[in-house]
Amino acid sequence: MIQLARLGDLVQSLPAFASLTVRHPHRSLDLLCPAPLADLARLFPEVGHILKWNGAQWHAWAESFVGEFQSSWLREVEQYLAELTTEPYTMAYVLNHHPRAILLATLLATEVQGPNLRGPLDEELSPWASYLRHVAQTRGSNRIHLSDTFCGLCGVTPPPVPPVLRLPSIDLPGDLAEVGISAGQWIAVVVGAGDADRSIPVSVWIEWISTVLAHESPCAVVLIGAERDQTTALAIQDGLSPMIAGRLWDATGRTTLPQLATVLKRCHWAVGADTGPLHLAAAVGASAMGFYFSRARVHETGPYGQGHWVWQADRAQPEAWPIQASVKMIRESATAPQQEPVAGWSLWQSHHDEWGAIFRPVGDKDLHEDQRAAVWRQLSEQRLSLQGVQ
Amino acid sequence: MNFFEANVSRLALSDSALAAAIRQSGGGTLEILPARTGMPSARANGRWIHSAYDPIKEAQAWAESQSYQDGETLIVFGMGLLYHVEALCARLPRAAPVVLVVSDLSIIADAAAARTWGDWIERVSWAWGTTAAISEQIAAAGHPLRLVTYAPAAALHADDHRAIEMALQRRVSAQASGQLRIAVVGPIYGGSLPITRYAVSALESLGHDVRWLDHSIHATSYHQLELLKNSQHRLALQSKYAEMLSRITMAQLAEDPPDLVLSLAQAPLILPALEHLRRKRFLTAIWFVENYRHLTYWQQLAAGYDFWFVIQQEPCIAALKQAGAKEVRYLPMAADLSVHRPLELTQTEREEYGSDVSFVGAGYANRREIFPRLLGHDWTFKLWGNEWDGATELTSVLQRNGARIDTDTCQKVFNASAVNLNLHSWAGTGLDPDGDFVNPRTFELAACGAFQLTDRRSLMADLFTEREVATVSSSDELPAKIARWLREPAQRVAMAAQARQRVLAEHTYAHRMRELLSQIGVASSDRIGAILRGARQAEALAATATDSFPSLASTLRTFPSTQRVELKQLAAQIRSRGPMGTLSREDLMVLMLDEYRSETKDLV
Repeated sequence: MIQLARLGDLVQSLPAFASLTVRHPHRSLDLLCPAPLADLARLFPEVGHILKWNGAQWHAWAESFVGEFQSSWLREVEQYLAELTTEPYTMAYVLNHHPRAILLATLLATEVQGPNLRGPLDEELSPWASYLRHVAQTRGSNRIHLSDTFCGLCGVTPPPVPPVLRLPSIDLPGDLAEVGISAGQWIAVVVGAGDADRSIPVSVWIEWISTVLAHESPCAVVLIGAERDQTTALAIQDGLSPMIAGRLWDATGRTTLPQLATVLKRCHWAVGADTGPLHLAAAVGASAMGFYFSRARVHETGPYGQGHWVWQADRAQPEAWPIQASVKMIRESATAPQQEPVAGWSLWQSHHDEWGAIFRPVGDKDLHEDQRAAVWRQLSEQRLSLQGVQ
Repeated sequence: MNFFEANVSRLALSDSALAAAIRQSGGGTLEILPARTGMPSARANGRWIHSAYDPIKEAQAWAESQSYQDGETLIVFGMGLLYHVEALCARLPRAAPVVLVVSDLSIIADAAAARTWGDWIERVSWAWGTTAAISEQIAAAGHPLRLVTYAPAAALHADDHRAIEMALQRRVSAQASGQLRIAVVGPIYGGSLPITRYAVSALESLGHDVRWLDHSIHATSYHQLELLKNSQHRLALQSKYAEMLSRITMAQLAEDPPDLVLSLAQAPLILPALEHLRRKRFLTAIWFVENYRHLTYWQQLAAGYDFWFVIQQEPCIAALKQAGAKEVRYLPMAADLSVHRPLELTQTEREEYGSDVSFVGAGYANRREIFPRLLGHDWTFKLWGNEWDGATELTSVLQRNGARIDTDTCQKVFNASAVNLNLHSWAGTGLDPDGDFVNPRTFELAACGAFQLTDRRSLMADLFTEREVATVSSSDELPAKIARWLREPAQRVAMAAQARQRVLAEHTYAHRMRELLSQIGVASSDRIGAILRGARQAEALAATATDSFPSLASTLRTFPSTQRVELKQLAAQIRSRGPMGTLSREDLMVLMLDEYRSETKDLV
């Protein structure tokens, strides 16, 4: 399986990976991913070898090759590829609709299954890739989760139960070892987001955390994020009352990916706008609650599995935030299904069935008919037809 | 057996003639002294050639600082006791060819007598004899060449090394068949703007693919800023404007990366942009066609360009190096024969543009002071050009009320005047006592076949003789010299004709651009040099790919044999096979590399 994209996409590949291992129980399934994600990829259940893709090396080659071509370069490339595998794979499953992923698959395997119907030069898309492109272009109300379309690309159906990552015992640095130990609810707050326009303002986080910690029952918050989010985490802490001492941990920029997975597993909830950590939280068994705005869409990248929540904003940049309502849902979970509407937001809850994950609106009647079964049938028929199966 | 016999006998196995010559030469040039470590060190002319403390460690540090790429031949300038050659050989792959330039046999004799030579001697070949013979041997050693200099020892034979380098440049120039892609960055306005045009035209005439990033289209906006009365605003906005043009240049370069970025003086490329270009492996050069004493912005840019070409020699070159420039070369001005040429003028034109004595140019201080002395004589004098405001004494001879003179008019004046004065500008009175560089007008007048009387310049002798261009040493003698030359029309014509012949033979912009590229080609042998030699052409690439990558070689053979092929073209050729095309493993690797290449456009 080749997944060259970022953290969120790698975690969302887990259902396809799980279904493939069930479909082919006697075949080893290796995973090729960007080198920085390799340690996380090792947590995939039943995974064979992890092949680290060194994108930086390829960029460096490309930069040094600008304006000239020497066939001797290919020796370096050949050597690099030989270090990945000496024998060609029987099959490569490609999950990225990107030429480099398709080319790489063609280099490493005798047969390729993925977005392209035929070879790397053929732009004709496979049925599932066409479907994804159509959804991306029309931004229609796609109800098939990205993780499940990955299953479709690989020719398998979604797993009957949402898979989880296999977490061994992993030591956490310093005070983070205390996360999840004491009683009460542990909430991971994902403070940043990949892009600035997808970040929740610091003032909102200050209010949200103050509200959640003001509740009577025991509760602790762990700030989650990358190194670049440390400034935001400090700003949040500066804005909080000193009275919250001992109930807030700052893990931003302090963990490896497996350690982050461990922190999330020890939390009951993960809340935020950055879909990558939310997917990871869902994949280790925590409940996820996302605030989706800007380009984030619940049906495409909502946390995979059962019982996750997504607040979807009506506009790209929300004017108000569902702070009280979202805190209440976490602190008084029994009230969640009766959640009152919040202006500017719709609330969605995830479910899981034979067609994979689906988010359904809370409170309102779902106006859209669930077409997943029909889409799966149609695309599967197309796929079989292209394979010459009558 | 002593060191000398042992070493020379060993050398004789690979080069018996050199061994014999060393035996015959004797030594005595180097003074051999023990270093603190006990190893022999050496001095010449009272200066240490190697460390007086630890010559081995010093040589290792020098060797570590040298770059090398597979396939190159290293040419080492500088001899001494050869510690540096030994250290270099220890650091390089065993197959890397090393050629040591022997400029003085007696130094090798001293080196042979001082200590035992190790196995490295079997890896080194020796280029010795006359400058021509050494150049020949280096050229035969194989390409690409990388010249490395062990400066303390090389300083003893700097002139010889320069001559060898020039011979190599001539060789590169003569062999140049490859087409470079060159982006020429011109100024917004000013004297270097026409030079940019000439340089572009010359590079095109040499067969290169030239893209002129022409910033003169921004001149109107830029001049609007000059109208701002608040100097603080004006300077701040002009600086921002230059910065923006620098970014525009970067964006243009990113869209179609050239092999070489060649700026002309005043090109709006600021230091951070140049540093960024270097990080992205762009090769940059500037032809600084300015008087470095007057325009000093080079101090801020010195470290930014890979190559500086200047119209002055010392102390200009030393000053630039002091400011951080790595490579500084002398490249004088020139003429463009398509613009600067003899003209057949009509009688009307002769009357309008002609005179006994003329001058075309701006009203600098020294000219304002000198020219009134040329009035009231029995010759006609016409003064052409702008910036003569306030020069009331010259009103009677100033043409067109001091309007700016276009290039066409200028050529007509040159062709129609008996004596063209060519006084280099200077802010003082009289002639510039430190005048060194030769201005473009000198070459342009000569190219027109026009007679000129020029103030004496220290760099003139290398460019024109006294039989080609007449000179004057002081402003006081100017009237007498004019009178003399007006009396000798036949000699004027003969001198002007010879001057034109000299330009045709040596001083066109094509000569200069060929020289510039040759110098860069030698210094950047693996990149520019390789392209100039044609090593990036389809046939040459196919030949190197045949054994290891036959499928690739066959794709390369689908291109015209002399077409330069880059990754981009090769990938496009593979893609052109269409959706059903068969792809070899090599094809896939090429396409993969090209995918990453197409994403490396983060220059801006």
